[in-house]
Amino acid sequence: MNKKLKNMLNSPILWPVIGCIILYIMICVVSGRVNVMVLTSGAKLCVFAMLLGIAQMIVVTSGKGAIDISQKYVLTLTAYISCAVMEKNIILGLVAAVAVGALCGLVNGSISTFLNIHAMITTMATGYIYYSIILVISNKVPNSPNGSFVKFINSSLFGVNSMTLIVVLIAVVLYFVLYKTKYGMNLHATGQKRDAARLAGVNVKKTVITAFVINGALCGLAGALNAAYCGGANQDLGTTYFLPSIAACFVGGTNAAGGRSNIIAVCIGAFMMTLMSTFLNAAKIGIGAQRLIQGIFIVLLLCAATRNPNKKS
Amino acid sequence: MKHKEGQQPYLSLKNIDRFFGITKALQGVNLDIYEGEVIGLIGPNGAGKSTMMKILTGVLPRTAGEIIFQGTPQEIYNSKVAKQIGISCAYQDLSLCTNLSVFENFAMLNMSHGFSPSAGWRRDAKKEAKELLEKYFPGNGIDVTRPIENLSLTDRQVVEICKTLMTENLKILILDEPTSALSVDKARQLHAVVKELSSKGVAVIYISHKLDEIRVVSDRICILTNGQNKGEFFTDIITQDELVEKTGGVPEKKEKEVRDFENCEDMVRITGYSDRNLSDINVHLKKGEIVGISGLAGSGQQELLHLIFNSRVKPRAGVDINGTVAYVSGDRAAEGVFHFWDIKNNILAANFDRVKGKFLISRKKANESAQYWYDKLKFRAEGIGSNIMSLSGGNQQKALIARGIASEADIILLNDPTAGVDIGTKQDIYALLDEIRNMGKSVILFSTEDSEMEICDRVYVMRDGFITKELKGKEIDVPNIVAAAFIETEKKNLAEKKQSSLSRFLGARWMLPFLTLIIIFAVNSFMNPNLATYMGLKMKINTAFPLVLAALGQMFVVMCGDVDMGNGYSIGLANCIVAIWITGSPLLGILGLILFIGIYVAMAALIHLRRIPAIVVTMGMQFVWYGLALMLAPTPGGSCPKWLSSFLKMNTPLVPQPIILAALAGLLSWFLLFRCRYGIVLRGIGNNAQSVERSGWNYMLAKMTAYAIAGLFVVMAGMAYTSVCSGADANSSVNFNMMSIATIILGGCEMTGGVPVPLGVVMAAIVMNLINTLLTALKMNSNYQTAIIGIILISVLALKYVIRRGEGGSRE
Repeated sequence: MNKKLKNMLNSPILWPVIGCIILYIMICVVSGRVNVMVLTSGAKLCVFAMLLGIAQMIVVTSGKGAIDISQKYVLTLTAYISCAVMEKNIILGLVAAVAVGALCGLVNGSISTFLNIHAMITTMATGYIYYSIILVISNKVPNSPNGSFVKFINSSLFGVNSMTLIVVLIAVVLYFVLYKTKYGMNLHATGQKRDAARLAGVNVKKTVITAFVINGALCGLAGALNAAYCGGANQDLGTTYFLPSIAACFVGGTNAAGGRSNIIAVCIGAFMMTLMSTFLNAAKIGIGAQRLIQGIFIVLLLCAATRNPNKKS
Repeated sequence: MKHKEGQQPYLSLKNIDRFFGITKALQGVNLDIYEGEVIGLIGPNGAGKSTMMKILTGVLPRTAGEIIFQGTPQEIYNSKVAKQIGISCAYQDLSLCTNLSVFENFAMLNMSHGFSPSAGWRRDAKKEAKELLEKYFPGNGIDVTRPIENLSLTDRQVVEICKTLMTENLKILILDEPTSALSVDKARQLHAVVKELSSKGVAVIYISHKLDEIRVVSDRICILTNGQNKGEFFTDIITQDELVEKTGGVPEKKEKEVRDFENCEDMVRITGYSDRNLSDINVHLKKGEIVGISGLAGSGQQELLHLIFNSRVKPRAGVDINGTVAYVSGDRAAEGVFHFWDIKNNILAANFDRVKGKFLISRKKANESAQYWYDKLKFRAEGIGSNIMSLSGGNQQKALIARGIASEADIILLNDPTAGVDIGTKQDIYALLDEIRNMGKSVILFSTEDSEMEICDRVYVMRDGFITKELKGKEIDVPNIVAAAFIETEKKNLAEKKQSSLSRFLGARWMLPFLTLIIIFAVNSFMNPNLATYMGLKMKINTAFPLVLAALGQMFVVMCGDVDMGNGYSIGLANCIVAIWITGSPLLGILGLILFIGIYVAMAALIHLRRIPAIVVTMGMQFVWYGLALMLAPTPGGSCPKWLSSFLKMNTPLVPQPIILAALAGLLSWFLLFRCRYGIVLRGIGNNAQSVERSGWNYMLAKMTAYAIAGLFVVMAGMAYTSVCSGADANSSVNFNMMSIATIILGGCEMTGGVPVPLGVVMAAIVMNLINTLLTALKMNSNYQTAIIGIILISVLALKYVIRRGEGGSRE
């Protein structure tokens, strides 16, 4: 029993859950009533931070301090692509967005591994390139979403929004991929120590590139959904979700040096970040104070969520 | 020198206990240390030798027991007290900062901590370092101005040992596996050093698994097993066999079976292969054979193993591999264990295919497979679910060997698998090798211990990348191997290429930004002749100045091995403080800026104390900076203080002022980092913080100092930016974040830390600015400008990679 309790206290899920509870209580206090709608709309709003957060988690887990800071540009780029292609066919548009996202991931991963450039620098540079592409195509392609696709993402099944269902389904699939397949184990091995993984026979380059491709594909999906949700693509679409998704990734206990991840904690972390912006909006405080509170909250939570290295696990 | 009967020990450990939770690492351990006596400390891995040494050096507190110094029990005993007593330890894991030069590593230990500058301290330190090396290891030929990373492993070990010997008032010297990377002659020199120290009254504690070495060096041998004393003997009255028995091993059987492999199939055949490190290699391995590779350390044995391992996927001419290959490393920490995983996953790491169900890994199969190996290899642990890091070195090694065998490969390569492993485990490993052979697999074994070669069917002895001798069956014994290891070869003359000062100059890190600056400036002034005038330069460099400062600030953070992802917004906040508070009420403004730098320092403390990655903290801090800036200036406004704008717009004679300021900022940083004593510490922490701490410096203080300097540069960047845009805007400085990182990369810094290049950074910042000017002058669509910067960044780094590969830095 004692051991179970200890495990629970050590679990990366603990702190995001506590964060969610605190924020929910605060929302109720501020708005003056217990409101379940907050949770359902939160579940719908959080899908973008969740997709990006999971995607980021996979890249970070590949190790060597890898991080993708081109996510927001990939999201924006694929948002445009999806709008343009969905004029012809919805499914094709979705596939195109995911494919372009995956291609961006392939480029990021290949440059980073084959030229041995730090992932952060690589994605910063490619991010610049993607942004230029966005600027060039933004006034050339149609940027309003397909009407029936908008209807679809706003529809709900058993009271749950369809986007939420899709993302949860993806999270479940990825859970199995990451923790129950050879690829997932190789990814975690690579993240812990690339030399050791290589000598254990893991194809390190392929593993890392695949992580980037999965990351890109998820960004692509987020782009397509986001374009429909926001009523069209615009040049700064991705910016809103960048920091919340990174916060979700690390609040969810992802080891920044790689090799350890927890997809459930990251999903809850994304939900928590959404509750936070709901709370800040409901509290009706100035935008400056909002950011300040958000920042302090995140830093404090990170202090709590990072495992204390002085204690032996 | 043996101690006399009734002599008072210099230092005694009495009934020392040390518990980690329920694990009893030490139980009632005693050790008397007498002046001038050499104690050989032996015992299996996990016996508590390292723990005991950590208590002796004051790194770990004791749970119970007494430490008695010259007859008086010491109540308080920490690393400071240990240092006063004169205890110094050469660590098994090298504790040098590889980015610093040899003499800087020495200087870190004995330079004064005060700030009083003294001219010529570097020259003195170099001379001292040279004399020190020459005194203990004559004829070593180590260039003290070279960074450690350019030295061979042997030279590094020599430097490490000399660093330990530098301790003033040295009374007790601890050598932990000192000869693991040393060649035979260097080891002999070390033994002479130990003798000399002992005659001067210094007590030496010599830890080693090599029993013959212990017998040569020590006066008294102390055996530790399971955290308890197992006995003490004077070296001259105990035999080797008795020692082996006492430490838990069974004396090796001497009879040898000679097998014939003539008719077996080839698993590996290498014919006439040569490359940078290997020359004319002819090797073959038959099915079921154990082939040893021996010779002096660093003669190409590791390269040969890597060649065979890499050839399994990348075929090379002259190398035929007939089967699957597994690799077992003896360097467990760097290339072996997966530290987050338990024993199970560490065993299965090369083997997940074999425990797969239909799609997913089957938990049942995985447990069964891991349990099989766990039982077979007699692990000492709680179960297959124990974390690998909770095991002793020997048990970790068992897991790695199990991984190699469990992968069901036909050929198993073992790279010094018994390094730092106790005798009992070694016997287990030898038995395992026999079993592998019986399973019809082939083994190539490289070992630094010559006696281990006796279990092989055939041995190749290497020297300088050549195979000098092939020994078979009964010929394999230590004398033959040692003789073969010294056979002279026609040495290739590329091993120790002396770097000429010219090539050093051309290879300097600031060279690339310098050349880029010249080229881009030339093109720019060709397009726009006005640029090369006084006013043109002044305007241009003035707009680049904020980036110069921002990048220098970023450089100080990156130097610590961190990165500041928030400086885009923190510059915005500084900008708001300057344009609103300083303009309004200077006192409040100055207070605000001091507080601002204080937050940077606090960030450093937080990152250090909670061990949170800097990238995450600084990203979270983005919100804080931005929030504060918005509260200060909800909409753009304010103005630049008069004194600031008039100062920055001043006309200086001949050279425009912004150039002077930019150069000054760079030179100041350079002077601080490369000419001041504390600069060594600042550069050291990004590379090997532990080494800096062991040399008596406070890591957290150094980090806080670096962050304070970074904060100061951010403030100055904010000021310069206020003058450029003459007002406050919380939003407009966001780009400084990415730009400053791009700039320091272009400037030649390394993201991994410890490599600041202040002058390169200054030039790179100006280059970044000129690129934009050039693109505008070329009438390039402004949409493409960001892409061009991205492409330039990737090209520069790709070029660096190609150059470094050409120089042969890469191992793969």
